[in-house]
Amino acid sequence: MKVKVLSRNPDDFRRETKRDIQKLPRNYDPALHPFEAPREYTRALNATKLERVFAKPFLGSLDGHRDGVHCMCKHPTSLSLLLSGSYDGEIRLWNLPKRKCVRAVAAHEGYVRGMCYNPSGDYFYSCGDDKIIKQWSMEEPGYGEHMQPTNTILGKTIFHAMDHHWQDNVFATAGQQMDIWDEERSEPMRSFTWGVDSLNSVKFNPIETHILGATASDRSIILYDMRGSAPLRKVILKLRSNTIAWNPMEAFMFTAANEDYNLYSFDMRRLDRPLNIHMDHVSAVLDVDYSPTGKEFVSGSYDKSIRIFPVDKGHSREVYHTKRMQRVICVKWSSDNKYLLSGSDEMNIRVWKARASEKIGVLRPREKEAFAYSEKLKEKFSHHPQVRRISRHRHVPKMIYNASKEIREIKASRKRKEANRRAHSKPGTVPFVPERKKHVVGEVK
Amino acid sequence: MEGEKQGSPRELTNFTAKKKMKSKRYFDEAGHEGKVEEYTVDVDTFLKEQRKERKKKIKELKTARQEETKSRKNRHILKKKNKQETDVRKKVDPYPGDAPISKKKLQKYGRGEKLDTRGMKTKYHQDTFSRKEQRVKEAVRQAARSEFLLSEEQGYLEADEGEETSQITQHDMSSAVDITSAQKYFELELNQFGPYRMNYTRNGRFLLIAGRKGHVAAMDWQTKKLMCEMNVMETAQDVKWLHIETMFAVAQKQWTYIYDNQGIELHCLKALDCVLRMEFLPYHFLLASANAKGYLSYLDVSIGQKVAGFQTHLGRLDVMCQNPHNAIIHLGHAGGTVSLWSPNVKEPLVKMLCHGGGVRSVAVNNKGVYMATSGVDRYLKIWDMRMFKPLQNYRISAGAGHLAFSQKDVLAAGIGNVVEVYQDCCRHTMTKPYLSHRLRSPVANLQFCPYEDVLGVGHGNGFSSLLVPGAGEANYDALETNPYQTKQQRRQAEVKMLLEKIQPDMISLDTGALGKIDTKTLQEKIEERNKLLFLKPQKIDFEPKYKMKGKSKGKKHIQRKKGVMEQEKKETIRKIVQLRQEDKREKLKNDKRYFGPKSVLDRFKKKSEAT
Repeated sequence: MKVKVLSRNPDDFRRETKRDIQKLPRNYDPALHPFEAPREYTRALNATKLERVFAKPFLGSLDGHRDGVHCMCKHPTSLSLLLSGSYDGEIRLWNLPKRKCVRAVAAHEGYVRGMCYNPSGDYFYSCGDDKIIKQWSMEEPGYGEHMQPTNTILGKTIFHAMDHHWQDNVFATAGQQMDIWDEERSEPMRSFTWGVDSLNSVKFNPIETHILGATASDRSIILYDMRGSAPLRKVILKLRSNTIAWNPMEAFMFTAANEDYNLYSFDMRRLDRPLNIHMDHVSAVLDVDYSPTGKEFVSGSYDKSIRIFPVDKGHSREVYHTKRMQRVICVKWSSDNKYLLSGSDEMNIRVWKARASEKIGVLRPREKEAFAYSEKLKEKFSHHPQVRRISRHRHVPKMIYNASKEIREIKASRKRKEANRRAHSKPGTVPFVPERKKHVVGEVK
Repeated sequence: MEGEKQGSPRELTNFTAKKKMKSKRYFDEAGHEGKVEEYTVDVDTFLKEQRKERKKKIKELKTARQEETKSRKNRHILKKKNKQETDVRKKVDPYPGDAPISKKKLQKYGRGEKLDTRGMKTKYHQDTFSRKEQRVKEAVRQAARSEFLLSEEQGYLEADEGEETSQITQHDMSSAVDITSAQKYFELELNQFGPYRMNYTRNGRFLLIAGRKGHVAAMDWQTKKLMCEMNVMETAQDVKWLHIETMFAVAQKQWTYIYDNQGIELHCLKALDCVLRMEFLPYHFLLASANAKGYLSYLDVSIGQKVAGFQTHLGRLDVMCQNPHNAIIHLGHAGGTVSLWSPNVKEPLVKMLCHGGGVRSVAVNNKGVYMATSGVDRYLKIWDMRMFKPLQNYRISAGAGHLAFSQKDVLAAGIGNVVEVYQDCCRHTMTKPYLSHRLRSPVANLQFCPYEDVLGVGHGNGFSSLLVPGAGEANYDALETNPYQTKQQRRQAEVKMLLEKIQPDMISLDTGALGKIDTKTLQEKIEERNKLLFLKPQKIDFEPKYKMKGKSKGKKHIQRKKGVMEQEKKETIRKIVQLRQEDKREKLKNDKRYFGPKSVLDRFKKKSEAT
């Protein structure tokens, strides 16, 4: 007779000392793990609920400005520095981790219209309603001294925006015309005009560094090549675009924030129709900024909210608002892809998390693993009605809720009307126009 | 010179070049035994020649190296070893790559068939899904490979030649095995309080016994440490551990009570009265109980509320078991039927006529594939629960009163006061029992201890623990159930379990349904079609507005009314006809026998050929 009966030595299955970790032998046999689908579903549901429970995106506000914040500027190399300019001409330099104002200077008379760092971040430029461009050093002024501009350029016309080249010592200002300035000179290197009265924003392409985009008050978005003598091409939309932001990962892509509550993602090479229309705001979109990964962007709107859109999706994944936040004038996505900054009418700059329920700080490996697992589960069961409902739900202010309802009704009514018209007219006379073509008036080369 | 061969055209050209004689060079060669020979060579041609030779040499070297590697590979396949050629640097792993995994193992860990991406609409979806499929495949492979790490081996019993395993007594076995295993064969003599029901915890550490006359005891059966012992002073019909070893439920004469492991009464569940049998569904925290009046009820022990309760109208319910795979409750009835219940449906999901007489006992195996039933007709039947069909039919002398499956599908049957154990009785027809053991009193309850080779038997005179080699799962998963759990771990596990509690409405025959695509069922399709067929234009109540003077006279008024109604009716009828036609066309398109529009010549085809 040969016999073997299961007999385990407990010492092999228990920890040896109290300082040791417990032994956890695993056996992945599916027979030992029943109810796989229902259990995973329950976990996914819990993870989704917890995500909403922990969604506390507001981190803090930087207050100190005595008028609304009009523009902000990230430091090119330091994560902790932020510049902000307000309606009363004051520029403030902030230390973000300490949430404190480091320096403040009354730089301009009237609005501070634009600010930009040079690529190394040693100094920055600012322009204002007083037609002056000022250069400021980042070095701390001596004890008892006030911050003084290191260089001043008097312009002929008003400036509405400015941006610095990503590599060279060249910057651009937008106003009556597009001016390209060499840092060494007090006269613009080159000026572009294309039959419009004024430009209201300008952005350099971070990859194809000699390309710039600007928005004009004649509803157009104009593209320039710094090397050429004339602008490249422009696209005219139904309403004015306020700003554009270039995708930092895909050289051809940019997104425009429009007055018609939408954002439009364009391919620079084909301007006749946008790649995507991002809808959700219920008022004019004032500013947009890309995440450094190029997969998402943040937009600030006149409806007192911030929204985060995935590049390839038509609707936002997230909306941020507070009771006290007024019209959002400018937004920025931090260079470490973790935080958002918003400057608004009521003189505050707010710091938000880019992912509302993310745990801030260093994660232990087991924590990381658990988060990754729940992320995967959420993805797997994202189409189940219960999970989808919870993950999609956002509480929004009554104003936004009602306005979006109204917009929805307006759209439905228009659609209905079009369908009726189509039904009652000769076939073919009422053409089907795709949504993406509806908003573009034309492309000019 | 090396490699100078007559006949090759390149050499010939060099040969002719020699005649040009521009400069003179002397050099000796090993092949000429120190003789100095005079060669007259053109410099350019000489250099060219050298280059060529170098190339040739490189080529030769390359081919040689290739051949070498080839031969080395061949050597690996043939597993030949040439000691003279072995060089430390050139040593290569004789078994390169991962160890191969058998198909059977992959199947065991697999999650069904591979997804066919060919029918997908876009390349994008094809790519994403094939990538996903790749990941799933890798995960299955990893899980299968992890089997190498399992530390314990399953138990077994082999008889000598000319001997049957069923002849081996418990005494023989316990004297042959090690001392700790031998201690697992024991007897508790409890003569006073009548036939005993018993229950092991899910991790197999703790045992609960309850005598009919009210004696209840909980113990760590391996160390023989008693946790509590009491007499509930009432008939105790059944006893079950709840999700952890600190709580258990006792079905007493009138109500059901919950005690903690010290024997303190925690709850009296008046919702569960006259309960005869209980089952605890650990993943759902449900205590299912069947009572003497034919009432089946589900109680959620985490919130203390009754989730569902049905009057089965099937008489006294004293045969009950759960399907551990899908949490369906199986009830056996006096009429010979077995009914399957979920808390979501008022009627049985399935009703199977299993026996000619009443059903005495039901058991379902761990994977939920096989069900064993025994009846008054003295048959023991094995059923395939995927198809609800009988697989085996055994005639047992006295008929089995109690059945239990082990984790490894070993079946134990209590026949009077004999316990018989059958191995591999589901897929193959067995002819003799694996083990058999005679007790002094009739069997009252059977359960295999999880993760141990032990069968617990409650009987008239107490409790006995028998050794059944090969019955238990050798390797436990500590994150699922852990026999060596500490208090801390138990607390943590309880929280985790509560967080992952499966809602009772997810109990269904197919547990994987949640992970599948929700396609329309046939019934839904039929209903949809029926709706289409029986569509009727709605009756409308139209009252025309009164118009200008003279235009709303009685006749005109009715004409207008009728006109509108007629028009509306026509419109809807037209729509319905259109829908029906579309449906017909769709149906034709899907019909396999349809090969396009009918032609005039089709009438000459044979009837069987014609559509």
